[in-house]
Amino acid sequence: MSAASPTIEPHLTTGAIVAKTPRPFVLARRTIITPILLALLMIAIALLTMMTGSRPFNQVIIDVFLRVILVVGLYVFIGNSGVLSFGHIGFTCLGAYVAAWLTINPMMKKMAFTGLPSWLIKTQMPYWEAAIIAAIFAGLAALIFGRILMRLSGIAASIATFAMLAMINTIYSNWETVTGGTSSVVGIPIIRSIWPYLIAAIISIFIAWAHAISRSGLALRAARDEPTAAAASGVDIPRERLVAFVISGAIMGLGGALMAHSIGVVTPDTFYLGLTFITIAMLVVGGMGSLSGAVIGVVFLSALIQTLRWLEAGVSIGDVAFAIPKGLQEIALGIIMIIILALRPAGVFGNREISLTRNRGD
Amino acid sequence: MLQILFDALSLGSLYALGALGIALIFGVMRLVNFAHGDVIAFCVFALLWPSTDAMAIVFAGQLPWYLLIPFVLLCGAGLSVLCEIVVFRRFRKANPATMMIASFALGFVIRYFLLMLFSSRPKSINLLPELSQPVEIFGARLPLLQLITIVATMLILLGLTVFLRRTRFGLEMRAAAENFSMARMLGVRANRVIMGAFALSGALAGAIALIFVAQTGTADIQMGAAIMLMAFIATVIGGLGSLAGAVLAGFLLGAASVIMQVMLPIDARPFRDAFVYGAVILVLLFRPQGLISARGTKERV
Amino acid sequence: MSLLALSDVTIRYSRLTAVRDVSFSMDEGEILFITGPNGAGKSSLLRAIAGVTPVAGGRIDLAGHEITGQAPENIARLGFSMVPEGRDVFGSLTTEENLLVGAGMHARDRGWRSRTADELEAVYATFPMLKERRHGQAGLLSGGQQQMLVIGRALMTNPRLIAIDEPSLGLAPNINDQVYERLMALRAQRQLTLLIVEQSSARAMMVGGRMILMRGGQIVLDGDARTLGNGEAIQAAYFGYEDH
Repeated sequence: MSAASPTIEPHLTTGAIVAKTPRPFVLARRTIITPILLALLMIAIALLTMMTGSRPFNQVIIDVFLRVILVVGLYVFIGNSGVLSFGHIGFTCLGAYVAAWLTINPMMKKMAFTGLPSWLIKTQMPYWEAAIIAAIFAGLAALIFGRILMRLSGIAASIATFAMLAMINTIYSNWETVTGGTSSVVGIPIIRSIWPYLIAAIISIFIAWAHAISRSGLALRAARDEPTAAAASGVDIPRERLVAFVISGAIMGLGGALMAHSIGVVTPDTFYLGLTFITIAMLVVGGMGSLSGAVIGVVFLSALIQTLRWLEAGVSIGDVAFAIPKGLQEIALGIIMIIILALRPAGVFGNREISLTRNRGD
Repeated sequence: MLQILFDALSLGSLYALGALGIALIFGVMRLVNFAHGDVIAFCVFALLWPSTDAMAIVFAGQLPWYLLIPFVLLCGAGLSVLCEIVVFRRFRKANPATMMIASFALGFVIRYFLLMLFSSRPKSINLLPELSQPVEIFGARLPLLQLITIVATMLILLGLTVFLRRTRFGLEMRAAAENFSMARMLGVRANRVIMGAFALSGALAGAIALIFVAQTGTADIQMGAAIMLMAFIATVIGGLGSLAGAVLAGFLLGAASVIMQVMLPIDARPFRDAFVYGAVILVLLFRPQGLISARGTKERV
Repeated sequence: MSLLALSDVTIRYSRLTAVRDVSFSMDEGEILFITGPNGAGKSSLLRAIAGVTPVAGGRIDLAGHEITGQAPENIARLGFSMVPEGRDVFGSLTTEENLLVGAGMHARDRGWRSRTADELEAVYATFPMLKERRHGQAGLLSGGQQQMLVIGRALMTNPRLIAIDEPSLGLAPNINDQVYERLMALRAQRQLTLLIVEQSSARAMMVGGRMILMRGGQIVLDGDARTLGNGEAIQAAYFGYEDH
């Protein structure tokens, strides 16, 4: 590993830490640099956007922040537990619809959602209050689903989360009086400023960090690396998984609510296989077991997607204008992902984190 | 009553064939192949000429049935083997989660490739229209197509059983599914067995594509995903890697869907699939290894 | 020219070196025991020859072909037949199907069908109980029966060299004697070349032949089993080693 700083250090993931009693403050002081650096990266991106001041670019950066929230949310569960979940975008869906229910003008709501209880129809609140409630709602849903799902492990768990996603999608696509069915829900107030998204992304990063160094997070990672040893030393694996599942569910819900406000329109299929694929791709490319990997995977793949989009829209080099056909963006993304997986199965970062301190060896 | 039975059997046929395609590959390679659904979609669109118009330009679909069927099966087998050679071969030593994600990415690539050629609009095609006439059996009027679906599925299952039990290649596949490295030490060629599994699985995808198009009369890029999800679930419930379990669970899922369709109150019927998924999670809770747990799937070095 | 030759073979599992610079060779018709305490690298060595464990350094030759890094199925085709530790029968296949898997790789050869049938009869003649259970599930056989089945399966590949990893593992002593009895009879009958890994050197001394003693991934002693057994060197090699 290079000696240059920032160097990469395996501290956030050392399962062995749990064997000694963790001293939270020492650990916190040693590792806090990682979320701070990641937050600075986010702020730098935001400032850069302010300087260019272009509208479309603004939207692109909002998408980056949204994906950071979602992928960090995925990391909290997948990264720490090692269990692959295909269901988390379901919580994003729940969060987005909560935001829709709470922020759309009551007059419009009355027409669009005839099945909503009247107190909910009358309610209209600022978007950030709605986003917090959306996060809590998604967290509660994760608690209920998680109570059942966390008893499973391995491929059975992955497939069960997939079933959960499909279940949520089926319900939201068909419950017309409450969700508007498969048609678009319109009238959600659109927030164009990048700051709320930036703040939410940074909050998510810090929540993920705090969870990772908490007793529960450490125990969970120990269980991921050494399941038998962890169980023998009294780690209640389903319980620690549930904690991570609920926290990550809440972050996904928050992301969903903000996503609704960024585009102003939601449909159940916005939150289905496509988004699941993109977010998992970002996490895997960055490195499933690393918070830094999650964030940098988003930045890297977003840049790539954006480049491909520009190419799709058409670029002129000299006199020759050329555009790549539509759909090639996704194809290229899939191919790049396969190549990265084949070359670096643990992702770019693996289990390591960015930090300023020198690598103390592993 | 007879109608319900036939509905259940024909829906179950689709799920069972799908689950079999996944279980075959899982057996030899421990890969949960998410691209399988897109191979099915590919086979459907192989019937058409590439165009983004709403009207389908039927191309291969016009072939007489005795050419059409082998054509579609070959398309599936070919694409599936291609996936193996180009992509999955590089993941032989990867862990199951990495392979699963790679297959997810590959499915995505195939789906958007189709999207690029055909656009995302569902197209209607009328494949073998003479099969949609009803026939009368035991006083019930049943679509001929349903009958053919069930009979064809039974024939495929029977053929596959004979193939696995009676041929040398089948023997090698069963040995490899149980203990891959031991089979190789006895001279069983890894590439041949894995490619064989992919080819069979792809041909099954072709069969599903034919049945599905004939039944629904539409070609939709999304359709692969819907069947696939149920097929996965069937594979897991059946006990990953157990072929008999996958088939059994496929039929059970079909039956559960049809029974729920009939039993659920009208208001709840659109949510049928949600109930099925819920039931699946419950089954997994009580039997995480599936109904029939396959030998040798738990540990493999 | 020797049938099997290893030169400076090193095997690593991530950071752990299991075998370091091991060289030896064996001739056609020879019987060679590799013994040594747990963790000496014996099984790793066998698995590396079979091609299932990658080699970090060195070179392996079998019957005049370099097989370092070759696929297991190709090594098997050159006449190396492996009976791994824990026996590894295909439990869901019948006894006869297990035997036939071994014969499959020569299916392209002329007269394969009749030769396989003869071979099958020969194996059944050596192990009559396998014939009795030929259509029964192999997973339901007893440990000793499974050991005979895997030896029979190895014979079906028409090998030049059979390598057996810990045939005594988990077997009662009298069953183990039976296994060895058949094995030695087979050897006499077919001029088999045998490479046998055992934890204890007692069996090697009893049977005779050449013996290599390994410890900590290296060869400590190499010589005639009976002479070595009486010498003091072997005492020294084993003593002071708690693991044994």
